[in-house]
Amino acid sequence: MFRIIKVTGESLSPTYQEGDYVVVTTIPFFLARIKAGDVIIFNHVSYGKMIKKVSTVSAGGGEFVVVGSHENSVDSRNFGTIPAESVEGKVIWHITGPRQ
Amino acid sequence: MIYKLIQALDKMIGFDQADAHCDIPCGIYDPSTAQIAALTVVRMMDLMAELEAKGGNKDVSYQNSMARYVAVKEEHAELAKQEIRVIWGDYIKAQHLEKHAGLHDLVHKIMQLGSKSRQTADRETGVQFVAAINQFAEIFWDTKGIATKRAKAPYAPALEMVYPNL
Repeated sequence: MFRIIKVTGESLSPTYQEGDYVVVTTIPFFLARIKAGDVIIFNHVSYGKMIKKVSTVSAGGGEFVVVGSHENSVDSRNFGTIPAESVEGKVIWHITGPRQ
Repeated sequence: MIYKLIQALDKMIGFDQADAHCDIPCGIYDPSTAQIAALTVVRMMDLMAELEAKGGNKDVSYQNSMARYVAVKEEHAELAKQEIRVIWGDYIKAQHLEKHAGLHDLVHKIMQLGSKSRQTADRETGVQFVAAINQFAEIFWDTKGIATKRAKAPYAPALEMVYPNL
């Protein structure tokens, strides 16, 4: 229903940084209503569990274009769209770590 | 306060991690490793040809030298392919492909030439391997808005190489 996940990597920096935590909901009701701008957790066949921001949702809601905010982010520009079945959760709370 | 609490819980329980994947170290891509590796392939082909041309007995010393040249040729051809694959797969974006429409074909050509350079001792194949990677380097630097120049490498086999004008 709810999970806490630790963020690694910097592709969503400066908003989400290495060591931050996010609380995600896995409730299907919320996952069925993912929209552009939401931050989601999904499983990628090569990269494993990832966190990215949704840029675009397909017409039927079955696929998402995901992006990072960093120029060198590995995201849909590299691996294409993410099917809805791969989505594990939607971020509902971002717990930031100490910033320098 | 909340962060420290969650962090303490993480140390005890070990939460799952989600990767905001970004190649680390971020932004450090450079085709020069591939270029030098491809040049090494040609150098090994030359050394193999020189050793063979000396004639004489194919004794243990000959076999040892030849085996070493072949091993280095194998290693560097694969290294060059790997470096190109990483830049192509992780750095190259849609906007780069729009400007350089032939990039996929070029990368495929590099993969093929790299494999052929491993399979054979054909110098011409090695030279083509270097040339194709040079072409890739020109495109790479163009995506960075950096002009390039061509000059002969200051060491054997002294083939023409692409260098960024930094």
